[in-house]
Amino acid sequence: MEFKKKQLPNGLTIIGEVNKSAKSAAVGFFVKTGSRDEGKEINGVSHFLEHMLFKGTEKLSAFEVNEAFDRTGAQFNAFTSEENTVFYAAMLPEYLSEVTALWTELMRPILRDEDFNIEKNVIKEEIAMYKDMPNFDVMDRCRHLYFNGNPCGHSILGSEESIDSLTCEQMRNYFSNRYAPNNMVLALVGNFEWDQICSQAESSCSKWEKQDISRELKHCTGSGKSEKIEKQNLNREHICLMSSGVSAQDERRFAAILLGAIIGDDVGSRFFWELVDKALAETAAMQFGAMDGTGVFYSYIRCSIENRVKVLDIVRGIFESISKDGVTEDELKKAKNKTLSALVIKNEVPMGRLVDLGFNWTYLKQYRTITDDINAIRTVTVKDIHSLIEEFNPCNFTQLSLGPVKS
Amino acid sequence: MGERFDRYTLKSGMVLLGEPLESVESAAFSFMLPSGASVLPKGCCGAGNVIDDWIFRGAGDKDSRQLCDSLDSLGLHRNNSIGSAHLVIGAVLEASNLSEAISLYSDIILRSRLEKEQFDLARQLAINGVMGMDDDPRHKVMLKLKEQFYPEPLGRNPLGKIEELKTLTVDKTKEIIAANFNLSQTIFTVAGKYDFDAVVKQIENLFETEERKQIEPVMPVAKTSRYTHIQSEGAQVHIGLMTETVRPCDEDYYNARVAVSVLSGGMSARLFTEVREKRGLCYAIGASYHGLKEEAGVACYAGTTPDKAQDTLDVVITEFGRLGEGISKEEIQRAKVGLKSALILQSESSSSRASGIGSDFHLLGRVRSLDEIKEKIEAISVDSVLEFLKKRRFKDFTVVTIGPKKIKAGQ
Repeated sequence: MEFKKKQLPNGLTIIGEVNKSAKSAAVGFFVKTGSRDEGKEINGVSHFLEHMLFKGTEKLSAFEVNEAFDRTGAQFNAFTSEENTVFYAAMLPEYLSEVTALWTELMRPILRDEDFNIEKNVIKEEIAMYKDMPNFDVMDRCRHLYFNGNPCGHSILGSEESIDSLTCEQMRNYFSNRYAPNNMVLALVGNFEWDQICSQAESSCSKWEKQDISRELKHCTGSGKSEKIEKQNLNREHICLMSSGVSAQDERRFAAILLGAIIGDDVGSRFFWELVDKALAETAAMQFGAMDGTGVFYSYIRCSIENRVKVLDIVRGIFESISKDGVTEDELKKAKNKTLSALVIKNEVPMGRLVDLGFNWTYLKQYRTITDDINAIRTVTVKDIHSLIEEFNPCNFTQLSLGPVKS
Repeated sequence: MGERFDRYTLKSGMVLLGEPLESVESAAFSFMLPSGASVLPKGCCGAGNVIDDWIFRGAGDKDSRQLCDSLDSLGLHRNNSIGSAHLVIGAVLEASNLSEAISLYSDIILRSRLEKEQFDLARQLAINGVMGMDDDPRHKVMLKLKEQFYPEPLGRNPLGKIEELKTLTVDKTKEIIAANFNLSQTIFTVAGKYDFDAVVKQIENLFETEERKQIEPVMPVAKTSRYTHIQSEGAQVHIGLMTETVRPCDEDYYNARVAVSVLSGGMSARLFTEVREKRGLCYAIGASYHGLKEEAGVACYAGTTPDKAQDTLDVVITEFGRLGEGISKEEIQRAKVGLKSALILQSESSSSRASGIGSDFHLLGRVRSLDEIKEKIEAISVDSVLEFLKKRRFKDFTVVTIGPKKIKAGQ
């Protein structure tokens, strides 16, 4: 493995991890923008824009874009979160240059009105689709409740109303600022020639103009509110709990990941033994999500309407016991083993490695090898976990549940 | 490519398959037990789901918690699934822990404690799982579709039915385990970093038995239902449709795969272009090949708001029909490149290879090399696909919808 890096005068950073023994390569543009960077009146624009990038450029129609990708056999897509928009592809090494050139071209889209209007329908269908996925819907609503006015609580998709009233002009304005080269990272992983790809990217991206760009960073401890919503087509209770944690820039993020696994890994965790093993809930999981300047522990639980109160009492009991008595050496050891093996397995495939490489640069401006992360996880102590719990007590949670209408 | 496969058959008939992967530190393994949803006794639908949980609740000298702790301390990630033919129990982990994991799995498969109170919990979780499916219409519509499409019992829903789960007993479930954990028909697969001789020796020591009589094959009974609607007041109508095609062992298999890829392989494929890009009818739209040993089909999903549901179904069916009327050289080329590239990308993951070699062996009686698959895909042409579609048109659809509005399914 060899790490490479180049920063262009306009601020675009190009990074690469070359692994000559890989059978494939992966490439991605990591744009530091998401729903938290939107004003309320344009909520949903980041995600909508992600779709619009596939609609082509002055030279390429939407169909030609899709055709060009498919000709290479690349597995390509994009995703938008509260704070990142990522465009990625995995392919055979011989197509990397072509696919990178294509992504580079797409990063300067034409944003045609007619494409915008048709795609609006697709976005509204996506919003409708997620309404029928209560496990997603409950998280989205709880995030809004937790962040309580902080832009991190904005819905990623936006609402039907915000999408209806969004104009293509508003999107163009948002684009010209947020997709500035100094707000993006181009990352490459796997089997490829660095010099060739780097100079290719340099010649096509150098004309992109640098912008003044910022993001409001405010740590949020959560509203602590509790809300219960009834929906007529539901059958089970879907519960989401959120409490605050460390940011993506904080070294304690590894301890936070391990604490999340101790409390809520899908097997062998506190949630598992108290809720799932006893068949009180069919799903109970906690995960830590590190963000820019803040961080959140998310729990998702699904159970019957009859078990709701009991389940919530047990969860409170687990949190209280964690905050009073802490965790054991044995629990930490198991969490480490599972987290480490998941990390290694994910990073064996270039596509998995790309995500870690890109985000490490986005958040830390740092290259971290897999070994760096492995060592960081290995050295977390019970004491580290305890001091984390002291500062971020899981008992202080925001809660939202989505369940059937009580007859 | 320097590909190598390992294979060994125990005296009992249990087959051991391996595929070493360079440059990985992980190993993935699976036991494919002949206990899939279609081979379970009538009236015990969902028993596989109960068994999958119950056998992990204590085995050998370990109770439920000790067993779980032992698996966790190996950093093992479970990878279980229930298909039509097999209950697959497997995992992926760091290669140095493979031998210890196999030893624990021999307890789980051969010496599970199967305690009564643990059974009640496993069964309750299985019931909860079925109930939870009502809140996941996208997944539910595809399970229902396979149930309606395949001749009974091939497409049975592995999650089962609540009434049948409620009446399932400890004794009946133990009986099923005794009959269906038939090692003579079990396939063991391993991929990644491993020493095959050591694996064979260990499996032989732990699993060798007398050869057992084969489980009676099922006699499928064709379904007649063409359209099923499940009323639900959600935001979308979830549409699933499926049409018959050739099986994985058929000489036209690769023609079928390429044809499906022209329809729905990438974003330039016909369904995505016609349904989403040109008309904005859906966000989620896609079709894929689904093959069992006995039967095969092309399954398609589309989710759309009620007012667009009829148009969506009509456009999808038109596209299936139009395929036989002509395909361009470029479309075939893109479909072929997409299939080949997906194949190679998957070949880097130990988990996908452990399941790939097992499913090849079950469906074809042998493992295909990447080179063989690539050559077969390479040989496909516009003419061969059109010729195939002339013989086997995509017509006669089984349709299932879940949502606030029923649609006309055309037959």
